[in-house]
Amino acid sequence: MTWQKLLRHETILALLTVLALVVLASQSDKFFTLDNLLNQGRLMTEVGLIAVIMTFVIITGGIDLSVGSILGLVAVLLGVFWKNMGLPLPVAIGLGLMVGTLAGLINGLIITRFRVPPLIATLGTLALYRGIAEGISEARSVRGYPDWFFVLGQGQFWGVPVQLWILGVVTLVAAIILGTTVWGRGVYAVGHNETAARFSGLQADRIKLAIYAASGFAAALAAVIFVSRVSTTRSDMGTGIELDAITAVVLGGTSIFGGRGTIIGTILGLILIQALKNGLSLAGIKSDGTIVLIGAVLILTILLSNLFHRNGNR
Amino acid sequence: MTTDHAPAFVAKRTGLVRFISTYGQEVVIAGAIIALFVLVSMVSPRFLSANNLNTIISGNAYIAVAAIGMSMIIITGHIDVSVGALIGVLATISGTLATAGYPVWIAWTLPILIGVGINAIVGALVAYGRIPSIVVTLGMLSILRGGLVSITGGAWINDLPPDFHLAQQRLLDIPIPIWFMVVLTVGAFLWMRHTAFGRSLFAIGGNIEAARASGIPVERRVVQVFMIHGAFAGLATVLFATQLRIIQSTVPPNLELTIITAAVIGGVSILGGTGTVIGSTLAAILFSAIGSAMIFINVSPYWLRAVIGVLILITVLIDMARRVREQRSAKR
Amino acid sequence: MLRTSLAVLAILSLSTSLVQAQSAWTGGDDLPTSPLACDGTPATPVAKPYDGGMTTNAPDRNGKPITVVDVPKLIGIGYFDATSKGIAEAAAELGNMTATTDGPTEANIDDQITLIDNYITKGVDGILFAANDPVAIAPVLKKALAAGINVVGYDANSEPDARQWFVNQAEFNGIAKSLIDSLVAETGADASFAIVTSTFTTPNQARWIAEMAAYAAACHPGLKWLETVEAQEDNILSFNQANTLINKYGDDLKGIVGMTSVATPAAADAVTQAGKCGSIAVVGLATPNAMKPYVASDCVKSVVLWNPVDLGYVAAHVLRAVADGTLKPGDTTVKAGKLGELSVINGSEILVGAPFVFNKGNIEGFDF
Repeated sequence: MTWQKLLRHETILALLTVLALVVLASQSDKFFTLDNLLNQGRLMTEVGLIAVIMTFVIITGGIDLSVGSILGLVAVLLGVFWKNMGLPLPVAIGLGLMVGTLAGLINGLIITRFRVPPLIATLGTLALYRGIAEGISEARSVRGYPDWFFVLGQGQFWGVPVQLWILGVVTLVAAIILGTTVWGRGVYAVGHNETAARFSGLQADRIKLAIYAASGFAAALAAVIFVSRVSTTRSDMGTGIELDAITAVVLGGTSIFGGRGTIIGTILGLILIQALKNGLSLAGIKSDGTIVLIGAVLILTILLSNLFHRNGNR
Repeated sequence: MTTDHAPAFVAKRTGLVRFISTYGQEVVIAGAIIALFVLVSMVSPRFLSANNLNTIISGNAYIAVAAIGMSMIIITGHIDVSVGALIGVLATISGTLATAGYPVWIAWTLPILIGVGINAIVGALVAYGRIPSIVVTLGMLSILRGGLVSITGGAWINDLPPDFHLAQQRLLDIPIPIWFMVVLTVGAFLWMRHTAFGRSLFAIGGNIEAARASGIPVERRVVQVFMIHGAFAGLATVLFATQLRIIQSTVPPNLELTIITAAVIGGVSILGGTGTVIGSTLAAILFSAIGSAMIFINVSPYWLRAVIGVLILITVLIDMARRVREQRSAKR
Repeated sequence: MLRTSLAVLAILSLSTSLVQAQSAWTGGDDLPTSPLACDGTPATPVAKPYDGGMTTNAPDRNGKPITVVDVPKLIGIGYFDATSKGIAEAAAELGNMTATTDGPTEANIDDQITLIDNYITKGVDGILFAANDPVAIAPVLKKALAAGINVVGYDANSEPDARQWFVNQAEFNGIAKSLIDSLVAETGADASFAIVTSTFTTPNQARWIAEMAAYAAACHPGLKWLETVEAQEDNILSFNQANTLINKYGDDLKGIVGMTSVATPAAADAVTQAGKCGSIAVVGLATPNAMKPYVASDCVKSVVLWNPVDLGYVAAHVLRAVADGTLKPGDTTVKAGKLGELSVINGSEILVGAPFVFNKGNIEGFDF
């Protein structure tokens, strides 16, 4: 193991995150409390779920801009299935998750069958899915959900917010699949060199279909948790969440050109961004200043990481 | 993975066929615009009135102008998600200069130079810092958006001098924004096609190693392309800021998505290497025509965005179908 | 395969484009409406018990210095710039209140919730808010109440039990009456008009549109609503949408109503540039500064709004009164500094006043 391996992006990011945590904790005694940290975990769950699967998407050299719109669509449908069609809420949740997965699958089909570049395909479905959400909802919100439903977004289990358990499980499963399985190596192979991957017998299209469907599922799951957290549905929910998720993924060291990236990097990226948002706010910096700093941190982190990998190990 | 225009077989063909296979996407979009105009004017003849054409084309010319620079960025294999925020910042600078008593030509041109300067930094970070452009511009998006609010506190600019409003002027009875759009589109198209510099953009986007091997100074070119893109963003700002008697000192919502969509639907391959700015300008016109048409044919406004999404996908799929057919006939 | 999917998409697009606008005014919500009497007789106030929330274990703040955070829907627009000026003015006048304004840079429900959550952790004495969504913001506001923080809303309400008091700039039905009456005064009672709004999901705008429909139906049945278009909070889009309406309806269009301080000046600019001043009336909600050029050129006769500086000023005074314990559930009035006694309505709302109509005679006297 050379020193260069030690200084891989994730290590640099982890050091930066620790540094940020220490500095932020010194600025406000409210920052490094268990309550606050768990609460921040609650707030980052929706972006986190989407970002974890987005890591797979970007490793294959793709991108999914439609996740925010899928979130909005599933949120609206959840309300419509439950209130307007009178289905039991668990059934409505199940159907919502299915619709989200289907929406992701459609992205995958457009990308693999018609060979539409992912950015264009998901730009199109970004407009389409949000449009369907707006059309179906006609700007009406659905509220008045039963109390048990709020456990998902507002409750706790063993002292930890319920949705943080979900994020934990999804992250763990995703990390194991990506890091240790043959299928996970296939994901990297597709992103590294798709033609070579095809020649070596990998079913690149199947891998991609599964990943885009999973991305839709993650957005749908985020929608259910979001609705439970804020107790209402709106067709504009999740607007712009795709950029937050992509920011976390690329900050985490996943190469936008495909072939490189890890789940742990994405999680570190998420934690750093959330810690900055929260910690700077507690330290008395307003939100406009905070987003300026987050932008600067994003650029500087990747720049720093590149300086250590001068030979282009991107 | 892409099925791009394969120049090898294009060369064997002649006349119309060659034209269509080279400018396939432009033809598809121009066809879509004509079809839309014909169909909607059958429902409502006023759609084709001079005033409405002016609203459709002139009112959105700034998007087409910004999409020219964006097309060059994408053709070179990069992307810029901060352009909407940049236009918001430059518009505020322009308005501030005008109300501070500077001559209007300074208020028009200085933002263009600032746009070039900001994007020179972005380009340098991409080319020499080796940071992917989406990362730099995501960061820049945050910095510009937050910075604008921090500095202006959200105060609008409303006491602009009367001669500031360039976009409201006409030349030979044609609105200035249309002149901007046409001249810049045609100029950029010819420049990209007929100069060594312009052609090098396609080479870099197509195959960066081959471009380097053939002696193109890749890094310098990337910085230069970002600077040119900044200039187009500045020109778009001139139209954007001088349209109304008020400048809203905030970042226009989703403007970057509209501009990127116009460029990619216009046939600029997101993988770099192919595309023209004629296509992106046509796509910008198509979008604003769709928006206007939806109002004219009484589509429920709740379903407006869904219909636009479907139309985008249809345009993309028709183009893909065309390319697949082309490839098959080339194999035969 | 390709051809069939294209056919499916084409059919889908056709079927969606056949979904026609409905007969009810698009953009209104479906909550019950309460139109005012046509001649302006004030409605008899219905006594309603206090329905606001309660803090848990709030410390005694009577007369003590307090820190307050003001979280508007978004920062960076003239309107909330003005409300935060009013809050700062009241804080300076009171002397024992430190107020800062911090909000999301876009009107995003989640960013606003996260921000409030951070301030609860940081530990403030009071929160002033203007909600992006009345229901979505409720859980975090309840958390603030449970932490002993005084919570007062202004401009855009939350669920009543998620805050203690709400400072109401002017009632929805009052705004609706002002807008429709101003429109009719210019166009006559049988005119056709269209509406430019921000988005259909914005609760205040949806409420005003619904109340306008109810008031117009009761008092000006000849008035014909043509359609409502969305224009986000984007002035160029508002301008283009207003132009499209002018082009579509030609001489049939007699008026445009702008529902936001972005849409109204843009619509006025569209009418000016189309040379239709005098034949198309523009009325709407807007801040006076943005409307001065159009009022000065006689293209716009009346602009409806309350004074947002006063709104922020009252909100800060109400928060101080709640913290001091001088405003309690069941009270019917509250003292708000230079604005004097204001009355409590709807159980837990403080009414600042009737909507104000700016015109050529008075608009120069306002700077916000």
